[in-house]
Amino acid sequence: MKYDVTVIGSGPGGYVAAIRCAQLGLKTAIIEKYSTLGGTCLNVGCIPSKALLDSSHHYHDAESTFKEHGIELDNLKVNLKQMIDRKAGVVADNVAGISFLMKKNKIDVLHGIGSFIDKNNIKITDSEGKETQVESDKVIIATGSKPASLPFIKIDKKRVITSTEALELKEIPKHMIVIGGGVIGMELGSVYARLGAEVSVVEYMDSLIPTMDGTMGKELKKSLKKLGFNYYLGHKVTGVSSTAKTVTVKAENKKGELVEIKGDYCLVSIGRKPFTDGLGLENIGVKTDERGRIEVNEKLETSIQGIYGIGDVIKGAMLAHKAEEEGMFIAESIMGQKPHINYNLIPGVVYTWPEVAAVGFTEEQLKEQGRAYKKGAFPFKASGRARASMDMDGQVKVLADQDTDEILGVHIIGPRAADMIAEAVVAMEYRASAEDIARMSHAHPTYTEALKEACLAATDNRSIHV
Amino acid sequence: MSLEIKVPTVGESITEVTIAQWFKKEGDAVDLDEIICELESDKATFELNAEAAGVLHIKAQEGDTLEIGATICEIDTDQAISNTEKPTPMTESKKPSTTGEIKEMIVPTVGESITEVTISSWLKADGDFVELDEIIAEIDSDKATFELPAEANGILRIVAQEDETIEIGASICKIEVMEVAPSAPETPAPAVAEATNTIAAVESTYATGHASPAAAKILAEKGIDPSQVKGSGVDGRISKEDAEKAQKAAPKAAAPSKQEATTAPIIPGSRNDRREKMSSLRKTVAKRLVSVKNETAMLTTFNEVNMKPIMDLRKKYKEKFKEKYEVGLGFMSFFTKAVSMAAQEWPSVNARIDGNEIVYNDFVDVSIAVSAPKGLVVPVIRNAESMTFEQVEREVVRLATKARNNKLTIEEMTGGTFTLTNGGIFGSMLSTPIINAPQSAILGMHNIVERPMAVNGEVQILPIMYLALSYDHRIVDGRESVSFLVRVKELLEDPTRLLLGI
Repeated sequence: MKYDVTVIGSGPGGYVAAIRCAQLGLKTAIIEKYSTLGGTCLNVGCIPSKALLDSSHHYHDAESTFKEHGIELDNLKVNLKQMIDRKAGVVADNVAGISFLMKKNKIDVLHGIGSFIDKNNIKITDSEGKETQVESDKVIIATGSKPASLPFIKIDKKRVITSTEALELKEIPKHMIVIGGGVIGMELGSVYARLGAEVSVVEYMDSLIPTMDGTMGKELKKSLKKLGFNYYLGHKVTGVSSTAKTVTVKAENKKGELVEIKGDYCLVSIGRKPFTDGLGLENIGVKTDERGRIEVNEKLETSIQGIYGIGDVIKGAMLAHKAEEEGMFIAESIMGQKPHINYNLIPGVVYTWPEVAAVGFTEEQLKEQGRAYKKGAFPFKASGRARASMDMDGQVKVLADQDTDEILGVHIIGPRAADMIAEAVVAMEYRASAEDIARMSHAHPTYTEALKEACLAATDNRSIHV
Repeated sequence: MSLEIKVPTVGESITEVTIAQWFKKEGDAVDLDEIICELESDKATFELNAEAAGVLHIKAQEGDTLEIGATICEIDTDQAISNTEKPTPMTESKKPSTTGEIKEMIVPTVGESITEVTISSWLKADGDFVELDEIIAEIDSDKATFELPAEANGILRIVAQEDETIEIGASICKIEVMEVAPSAPETPAPAVAEATNTIAAVESTYATGHASPAAAKILAEKGIDPSQVKGSGVDGRISKEDAEKAQKAAPKAAAPSKQEATTAPIIPGSRNDRREKMSSLRKTVAKRLVSVKNETAMLTTFNEVNMKPIMDLRKKYKEKFKEKYEVGLGFMSFFTKAVSMAAQEWPSVNARIDGNEIVYNDFVDVSIAVSAPKGLVVPVIRNAESMTFEQVEREVVRLATKARNNKLTIEEMTGGTFTLTNGGIFGSMLSTPIINAPQSAILGMHNIVERPMAVNGEVQILPIMYLALSYDHRIVDGRESVSFLVRVKELLEDPTRLLLGI
């Protein structure tokens, strides 16, 4: 078969790229190694983790706040198997949705491992070893990433696990040791902490979610502490050992003292690494960098003309929505259109509770740039809506240019922060000032009023409700 | 609706002003904020701006003295003005004073034989502020492209539009002479015609001219710099509608537009055709080639050359030559030297007809045909007969580079007594070139192909180039043309002869 475009990998980057190509009239194929479409995000990432986060959140609410709400329950207990089954159902519905979208857009789905023979020919080896071949004018590599580990840690997938296994546990851990204080560790750690596990976080840096604004890490640390998180920040893991029922993590603190933590599960969540195995990049000379990422230029084209890379397999934040934008970008670029991606305005989100969401520059980045900025913050404690729902942890922090009042960064930790950040993205795409948002009507009572209040504070330190 | 423009209050003690000069005529279309006349008071001279866009009806004539508050003119705002020639409203309140002088720029004399030129592209838009000596337009003649520098500081008023062909001495544009640059340059306003009366007062902020995501994409696709677009959004932000309405202020010459055409989405099965105006260069080439075909007795003789000796020689000395002269040793020097030597032995090949006389040259000026972005050009290597290989190579590189950048001067393309053309670079194996009039012969070079050749009764595979000599039989006889070509062949097949002249 000959295609205009072939996409390798059907995660959110790949399938969006394929649909946009098809919309633009290109004959498109998509190659997927696994039996279901959707990649990490739909199968073992964003969607299943959110399913478990929502289930565990309900349980935790029932346990900790229902009584105060005036709801009394007897015999409240967790049915972990049902939670995992429900999650599996959510995943199944979602991946079926992607299959439907492929059909609707007349995209050929080819199951198997795609491997370059040359720049226009790809061999596909299916799970039974049967080989087929397709020819394609352009190829988009969207093979994503997989969990990273450290050389001295052996992932046995039973006691020492990655995020993939953490979504399928048969029991609630008694003590889960989480290596890495980033997004994945905090989300999955939250799931089991809410269900009753003790959670210990070992992080090399001095704060949680260290790539985000410092205030976010600090606030999150406080909130998760209430859930029963222990922290070993500034600790360097030196060894992980496991028996049939236990794990021991050895770490060294800043003073060089050795700490030993014993638990029954160890979640290794130190990040993800680009996945290019079996692609046969060496056959066509596509270059990768020192971290194994496929090198692309500003048009997202690799060192070989007509071959593009998107999402986790190239540089930049490993986020589904970043990959989606890049998928659209390439499809439209192939057709001669000139789309843009503003990488500074791709929001980052952590689905803990409170949620964390941010867009633009962090305060640390502005300091480093030496840029004159002003800051406005508003705590959810002062929000009527938050008080009503008993979600009073967190704050909104707005950073604006000292002279022009242009919003440079918005950092939210609080209820529904992930949904609220969209307002900040829209505003910043239009280069709004803090006062612009402060002068727009926000429905009352909503969590979004906190953003307006923080903007009022940033404009002229004139919040109404503090 | 008609808007009366009255003499404004210009100073406390000033009670009357005199109309010094009208810049616009009765019935002219004027734009909002356009300077329409100059007023003199006893203290200073100042300009009067149109307070609306419309058609001007003058009430007070030049030299009239009016009291403050008296009517100077009326502007009929009902009459729409064509927006193609619409200059921009100026947004800043302070403006540098014009001196009142209007500099008319005319087509300069560019070469003896050139009688008309075509405006290839305006690099500045009507209403732009231009600086003295700044390049404001590109002009095509049938021989070369020129850049037109501004002859004064001031506001550009375009007279001859793009693609218009005008005679030498005709008016190209006018410059309303100013002493200093305006604080913010006028931006051509491609956007919304009706919006002119609402956006005049917008102050510029950090966000002025910021294009929304959709607008940015549209502008990028149109190849328009957002700074050239007037935004109608809050604080001058560029909305999607602004971007959709935006038109390219100064479309560039043929090259970029062609590029756009190729990157545009190709819809399978479409059957569009495209019409493009012929450039002056193309028209001249067309006219000349046909007249040569009609007015000469042209025919072509062929021969083949074994290129192995030259290739061997090049292989052997390529590095050393490059090291010493910092220019590559190509084939052009061998051919140029060979034809120069042969042309001196067969002078009619190097001659031309002038009326009833034949003009023989004791020098050989070799024209080389170069494919330039705008078409075929033929710069000349002068006195090729007395040049060294290195000098020839250097001159070829210099002229070809200039040709590709459209920088050749008329001087560099005038004259020439014999032409070399190489269709081989595009893959031609054999062709019949057309003489470059008024010369009497042209040598066509071709690509080098491997051919089985009989050498001393044995078949050898040798690199062969076919040569074609087209000549004007009116002054070159068969004996001369064929002998010339055989001589060229001898010199190329045994380049040592070039050295010894035998």
